Amino acid sequence: MVDRYYAELDQAEKEKRPVAYMLVGGNLTEIVRSFGYEVVFPEIVALNCAIKHKSLDYILQAEAQGYGLDVCGYVKNDLGLQALGGNTPFGHIPKPDLLVCSFSGCYVYIKWWEALAETLNAPLFNFDVPYQRTEKPLKEDIEYMVAQLWDFIHLLEKRTGRSFDMAELKRVLERSRRAEELWVKYLEAGKHRPSPIEAYFEAVFYMFPINVLRGTDQAVRFYETVNAEVETRVKEGTYPVPEEKVRLVVEGVPPYTNYRTFWDFFRKWGAVSVAATYPKVGGLFDMGFYHDPSRPLESIAEYSLGAYVNQNWPLRRQLIRQYIKDYQADAVVIHGIKSCRSFTAGQGDLRDWLIHETGTPTLYLESDHEDPRYFAPAQIKNRMDAFFESLDQRRSSAAATPGRSTP
Amino acid sequence: MALVQIRSPGNEDALAAPSGLAFSPDLREIRALRGLDETVRMARELIQDNTFPTARAWVKGGGHAAAFFPVYTPQELAHALGLLPVTLHGGGEELEITHADAALGSFLCSISKSTLELAITGRLDPFGAFVFPYICDVSRNLEGIFSRLRPNAVTHMLHLPQNFTSSAAVPFLVAEYRRLLEKLERVAKEKYDPSALTDSLQVYQQNRDLLRQLTELRRKEPWKLPSTELYFLERLGDLVPAEVQTPLLRHALDEARERSRPKRDAVRVLVVGPFCEQPTPDLLALIEEAGCYVVGDEFNMLRRWTPKVELSGDPLENLARAYIESKVDIGVRATPMPKGESIVARVGESEAQGVLFLTAKFCEPALEDVVLYRRGLEEKKVPYLHLEFEEKSTSYEQSRLQVETFVESVLFD
Repeated sequence: MVDRYYAELDQAEKEKRPVAYMLVGGNLTEIVRSFGYEVVFPEIVALNCAIKHKSLDYILQAEAQGYGLDVCGYVKNDLGLQALGGNTPFGHIPKPDLLVCSFSGCYVYIKWWEALAETLNAPLFNFDVPYQRTEKPLKEDIEYMVAQLWDFIHLLEKRTGRSFDMAELKRVLERSRRAEELWVKYLEAGKHRPSPIEAYFEAVFYMFPINVLRGTDQAVRFYETVNAEVETRVKEGTYPVPEEKVRLVVEGVPPYTNYRTFWDFFRKWGAVSVAATYPKVGGLFDMGFYHDPSRPLESIAEYSLGAYVNQNWPLRRQLIRQYIKDYQADAVVIHGIKSCRSFTAGQGDLRDWLIHETGTPTLYLESDHEDPRYFAPAQIKNRMDAFFESLDQRRSSAAATPGRSTP
Repeated sequence: MALVQIRSPGNEDALAAPSGLAFSPDLREIRALRGLDETVRMARELIQDNTFPTARAWVKGGGHAAAFFPVYTPQELAHALGLLPVTLHGGGEELEITHADAALGSFLCSISKSTLELAITGRLDPFGAFVFPYICDVSRNLEGIFSRLRPNAVTHMLHLPQNFTSSAAVPFLVAEYRRLLEKLERVAKEKYDPSALTDSLQVYQQNRDLLRQLTELRRKEPWKLPSTELYFLERLGDLVPAEVQTPLLRHALDEARERSRPKRDAVRVLVVGPFCEQPTPDLLALIEEAGCYVVGDEFNMLRRWTPKVELSGDPLENLARAYIESKVDIGVRATPMPKGESIVARVGESEAQGVLFLTAKFCEPALEDVVLYRRGLEEKKVPYLHLEFEEKSTSYEQSRLQVETFVESVLFD
């Protein structure tokens, strides 16, 4: 499916079909696709490069242009890749005809898209998504976003010469909604004991359709297949780790450059993620931020507000507490990354809150999602081993002391 | 002048706020200042005292104070409610970071850590409200940390729009300002009154006019008003009411205009990047000592963001419109024009011979802009130098050498 997607992008370039670049959080895929655009998500391209161990080449290229060590790895991967012609091991990334910056949860989005606009001489539309500071979206925020969505639609009409078709948008949103419900069903399978899913490492692979192919039949079919597989796992008793020993909530972006190594550090201890925040960067569907064909633009606005990192810290803390309870987690692992201040600034405080105010054992680790120079395997493994060993000891001593609860 | 230095080296209780300079509640000691040198000296002392003596004095006199993280929040809103608005520019070079690192992680700017350290160590106790504008993800997230750390204080994250062409941006920002006002009302124990806000707009307009004249004097005749002096005069406004700062600015302007000083053979530079975290005073002084005239900068953008706010009509809408229609080019808002063109235009306006990028370590908005700015400058063959700094920089020899080499290369090119 991923190969087909990149092949389609390549084809779009050859056929001179319009291409829009978008960001994952709060993206406007449905609207853009209804005007015939192909969509590139440079964040996803960047993480694919990192998994394929190519990101450092592009990062170094961007650093040679002047982007410093402290600039986000996604940004450097993308700008380095563009400078080198857009060729990746999985296909050629076409240049954009339009840049759509959904400013939802990350300030760097603004800077990144400005750099692309100036470097590639492409028009830029800023969709300003207010930061989510209340549980329910505020009327003024929705009105502001819906007004911008109409501006955006008019811009697309002007650029493509096509008229906006609300009925078509509703049909696309219906498929989005269906995929979102199936995705949530998959994520909620983590509530089973033992968990038939790995809600971090495995779910990250399954995020692709909900972010990139949302609104297509392909995405719906994918999640139907995944959920059928999960049901089979439950029936047959085949689980992500043979013996589930620790149920985790994981917070933070994974180190894509060392994905399997990092995952192995968990598996070794029988630790399985039953819920995670990172798969919600595209939208908090499990918290009710679904697209709704009966309220098309309003629900797109609400969805955009609902990107995980667009939630303020009180809402993030509340969500993680809810996950710990609903998914019966034993502990939390936080993975902070150098690149992303949006995700990471305050994760130390989160650890303090989890330990002292919820009594949840919590481990905080640091590396990077794109830049392999920041992943120190021995140090990370040592810290993880010590953490899981102490959890194991607490469990053993609790079992030996009747009446004492296990972590 | 009745200034009492009561900080005691023996009183190092980790979580008790050390006391620093002391003032009368009406800040008469500051109001009484007249000479430019005296004002600059006092401003420098105040800025370097991280116990916020003016806010302590204000609160001791029965008032309430609100703290604002840089770069821009219209402090007129606090002023109209009778609050003392204070800008938090970090903890400076004297503050030891012992607690905040654990809460924030390794890869974050100094100002975020020192601001949190100030709160953890009780130095921000005089403030009843903390406002963090969405200038970057770190500022935004700090609000959530403060809300946990100071549950009895009001905290607010102000979402400043990034879409400047939408007709809905002004109404949205008015709604944002109303949300902020509702919270500030709780601290001030006063209700918002539009006529009081109009009065505040007028007070700040006078203040901004004087700052603009001072900035213009420095641009035209930098030998009369060194940048370090202008810097401290401006920063004074972070800590005292506009009504206190304005007469001091007027005196300073009159005195500086009359100064008779020789013009040096120095390079006129535009300083770009330090719009939030501030370099140490020693680093600022070094730039001029090494042979530069700073003829434009981004040190204190709060009062330059909205050069003029309309006074007739709804004051909230006027404030919002001034923000949306501002043409300011700065790393923490979407660019009004291509960055390359913008920097070249700013170089032209300030008649600078070169650009000095002075960016805080880990400040992503500044670091990303530098690349685009550099391209624009290279195209027009404008020389530039890039230095990074942190709040606690201690050795400047490397920076001095770099600036001196830059100056020589421009002078003898």
